[in-house]
Amino acid sequence: MRKGLAISAVLHAIVLLWGMLTFNVSPFETATAESVPVDFISEQDFSKLTAGTRDAPKPETPKPLVEKVAEKKPAPEPAEKITEKKEIVTASTAEPPPPAEDKKPEKADKKPEPKVDPIAEALKKEEKKEKPEPKKAETTPLPPRKRPPTPQPKFDPAKVAALLDKRTPQRTAATGEEINRAPSLGAPSGNAPQLSQSELDALRARLMQLWNPPVGIINAGEMIIRIRVLVGRDGRLTAPPTVLTSGRGTMFESARDSAIRAVFRAQPFDMLRQETYETWRDMEITFDPRDMFRG
Amino acid sequence: MTPAELVPAVSPDLSIWGLFLQAHWVVKSVMLGLLACSIWVWAIAIDKTILYARTKRAMDRFENSFWSGQSLEELYRSLSSRPTHSMAALFVAAMREWKRSFEGQARSFAGLQMRIEKVMDVTIAREIERLERRLLVLATVGSAGPFVGLFGTVWGIMNSFQSIAASKNTSLAVVAPGIAEALFATAIGLVAAIPATIFYNKFVAEVNRQAARLEGFADEFAAILSRQIDERG
Repeated sequence: MRKGLAISAVLHAIVLLWGMLTFNVSPFETATAESVPVDFISEQDFSKLTAGTRDAPKPETPKPLVEKVAEKKPAPEPAEKITEKKEIVTASTAEPPPPAEDKKPEKADKKPEPKVDPIAEALKKEEKKEKPEPKKAETTPLPPRKRPPTPQPKFDPAKVAALLDKRTPQRTAATGEEINRAPSLGAPSGNAPQLSQSELDALRARLMQLWNPPVGIINAGEMIIRIRVLVGRDGRLTAPPTVLTSGRGTMFESARDSAIRAVFRAQPFDMLRQETYETWRDMEITFDPRDMFRG
Repeated sequence: MTPAELVPAVSPDLSIWGLFLQAHWVVKSVMLGLLACSIWVWAIAIDKTILYARTKRAMDRFENSFWSGQSLEELYRSLSSRPTHSMAALFVAAMREWKRSFEGQARSFAGLQMRIEKVMDVTIAREIERLERRLLVLATVGSAGPFVGLFGTVWGIMNSFQSIAASKNTSLAVVAPGIAEALFATAIGLVAAIPATIFYNKFVAEVNRQAARLEGFADEFAAILSRQIDERG
């Protein structure tokens, strides 16, 4: 037994010694990853992103169409001095307005005097007038209206000719700082290239808030409803929204009706800027129940 | 926190000796115990291998001389002078009983057969006991070694998690050394247990084979002696 123990101990010692000498930890050879350049862009820049290559030459900034050189409109400076409101000069006041510099101290003295505001007085008069009106209406009932006989329009070719405008259509020239006859792609009435992300998000948020899809939708993927919406400049619908997707079942119908109701209730779409009207005049809105739960 | 602070000041020693030194004392004792087990297992294995080889050789030699036509008396005389093992011991025990029954004053044939068989059974049991001794150690190490190693690992990982919680730093460079040293315990446990299991299975088979051989010889020899008894009686 002793012999075996000795042999075993020696073997273990050898193995351990060998392990200590050769068991060295080699760190992982990690290939140094290339540094990835990261650009920070604003929301607006992101919405203007277009497909392209990374190494393409930097495009020029979109240039508006300019046919006539006009003075550059200075941006209104917010820190500008607030000027005193000028007194309204009516025809009845014969006196010419005294020079402001000399009369300033006097003006301060005059202040306690009630300022005669012609518009305010006119308004007061109107109010006075209006008040007695209902009484009058009670005492003297309106005589039954007689429709004046509408004159039937007679066909007069001469008048038609006068109505026709034979001049070539004109328009005011687009003005800008420098003449540019090669404008970038855009709508004639446009001002910005596209809807900004914030506007779209605002619209989406409003619609999602108002839309109540039926509870317990089983196949949310089949309940996607796309609605075409025509909007006027005032942000109101110009035509009833048309549903572009079709489906069956009471679930779909209720979801669809709910979406239409949401579009109606979201009026007016005042979160959309007037400048981008061209882009939101005709919209297709997608209602996806899955978005409701995505957050 | 600056990047310099994230990296431990001294890069941990990850050699075997370093891993052992950094470990908690419980893990250390587990490692030492398992190392001792491993040494013991190999000692037993070496010892048993030598023993079984020697026993097998002795059996072969004895069977050769037994079936060589040599008279049993002579064989007995040559073997009984010194301590014997295995088959020779079996033969000596049986012959001793035989001789006692014949050479004594009162010849007792009745039950001699039974006595000889009893004596041989006892001798076989003793021989097998000798062959099987310490095999249970192998079985124990083989089955319990991984668990002991695992205990060390769990303890080490528990400790390293506690220190992670204390240092409030979860970077892998901080976590890894503790886990590595903890896993080292399982490695040692497996190193001790795998050979133990293999040797145990091998040796149990060997013991069974030799026991069968002894039984076979005992039956054969009992048959020979039984014929002698009948012829003489």
